[in-house]
Amino acid sequence: MIRGIRSELFKLRTSPGPWVVLGAALLFTALGIIVVFLVNHPGFGGRHHVSFVAPTSVYRLRRLLGAGFAVGGVWMAAIVGVLCVTGEYRHKVMTTSLLVEPRRWRLLAAKAVASLIWGLGIAVASLLLVGAMGIPLLKTQGGSVSALFNQAGAVLPGFFAAFALLALFGAGLGTLMKNQIAAVVTILAITFIVEPVFDGIFPNVGRWLPFAASAAVAGGLTPAAERVYLLSWWLAAIVLAGWGLVPIVVGYFTTFKQDVT
Amino acid sequence: MPIEVAGLNKRFGNIQAVADLDFTVSPGRITGFLGPNGAGKTTTLRILLGLVHATSGTATIGGRRYQDIEHPLRRVGALLESTSFHPFRRARDHLRMCAIAAAIETARVDEVLELVGLKDAAHRRAGGYSLGMRQRLGLATALLGDPSVLILDEPANGLDPQGIAWLREFLRYLAGQGHTVLVSSHLLAEMAQTVDDVVIIAGGRVRAAGPLSSLLSQIHSSMRVRTPEADRLLGVLAAAHWVCRRLAHDLVVVEGVTPDQLGPVLARSQIIVYELVNESTDLESVFLSLTGPQTPSTPGVAGP
Repeated sequence: MIRGIRSELFKLRTSPGPWVVLGAALLFTALGIIVVFLVNHPGFGGRHHVSFVAPTSVYRLRRLLGAGFAVGGVWMAAIVGVLCVTGEYRHKVMTTSLLVEPRRWRLLAAKAVASLIWGLGIAVASLLLVGAMGIPLLKTQGGSVSALFNQAGAVLPGFFAAFALLALFGAGLGTLMKNQIAAVVTILAITFIVEPVFDGIFPNVGRWLPFAASAAVAGGLTPAAERVYLLSWWLAAIVLAGWGLVPIVVGYFTTFKQDVT
Repeated sequence: MPIEVAGLNKRFGNIQAVADLDFTVSPGRITGFLGPNGAGKTTTLRILLGLVHATSGTATIGGRRYQDIEHPLRRVGALLESTSFHPFRRARDHLRMCAIAAAIETARVDEVLELVGLKDAAHRRAGGYSLGMRQRLGLATALLGDPSVLILDEPANGLDPQGIAWLREFLRYLAGQGHTVLVSSHLLAEMAQTVDDVVIIAGGRVRAAGPLSSLLSQIHSSMRVRTPEADRLLGVLAAAHWVCRRLAHDLVVVEGVTPDQLGPVLARSQIIVYELVNESTDLESVFLSLTGPQTPSTPGVAGP
């Protein structure tokens, strides 16, 4: 099993898709950092010239730590999960993979774990970017780096868990749908259409959906006023894991076990 | 390890792709798996390799299903299609990816790349490979685990003549070492030079199986006669109860006779002959006779 996971990680490492996704996640993280510094400025909005101001409130410091999450980089983790599974079908390499590991549940489990690890990798890279870009900015603006570090304990466990579990969700969606483009479009639709609609109209339902659950898991990034609408972090973690594992199990029996012709 | 297929059936909806297939592939021999397009060859190979589920029956390698073999890449090498590579992945990385999962030393990756002549192209992306290079990379993947069983679907596809000759010698060497080799191909002339045994299927059923030499000896030879007196010749042949086919106004093929048998009859009948050719039986004619469309071949009946 360990070898299978290593092989799946090697596959991800030697194909361009996951690197493109990582690059996009870092781009979003960089934007997130800039937004955190900009939104504190009273002149933001055009009344005055735009300039950086150190984020001073606890909430803003937390947003800085979770910059990739704040601007949407987190759903890139879900896309990596999709690529990990659907790439096999898109590039017709499923035959080779099954010749190497014919026990399909093992292959799928290795893919799920590899997706989760790559999701964590995106979170780590995002955090390193905060260090490389956010801390110097904070220093030049006279902000407190130690205050930033003090927030890490409250933010990072949920931050990492949300990236990893969303990658698992992507792997589940990929297993269920097989078609890479359809699965990616579905993720974008859930993020930008389905969840906002539910949040607006049926918030009691919306909070059970994947990205709302991920926000609850990374609860430290959300203002207290908004947090009341979300599930508790532990329940959200179970729900988000369910959003990943249920499609994986269903997809295993409906698509992954199908004949490879 | 022998390959054993017993009572194998596969249905895709209303289509019976494989029907009651039975054959055995022995170690130390090269077995050709032959059949026309749609005969069920690829389906059978994919069932054998655990990629397609059989409707009923069994297909085993060394008595076990492929999916029950621990580290199958180290027991069975398979080449199924030349497009099974991520186009952006480098050839060496493709092999390393397989080696990692199958617990094969990385040094073996470089060995097989050299063996198939891809050492200099190892760091190129598979998407930029020619068909022949892809085929070599597929062979390298099959050989990666130094398996004792090889299952190759159209392995010569895209190879240049030197590559085909190398492959033939290599398969002969492996069979000589006691390996089990099952090869599917459309290149019948090439197969005739390579294989020891054949399994010929058509319509999902086995039409013939056994040593190639034995199969060839079972098929009667035929004589081709070019004559301006074809009508009279057909009458003579019908009287002798010989099976014949008229291929053109001056061309008749007589089945199941030797020159020694036909020559005296033609002489006695004083039929003018422009050409008399003994059509030696080869794998192609065996294949066509077993799998081709039914041609009229009744005594004395004219063709076109």
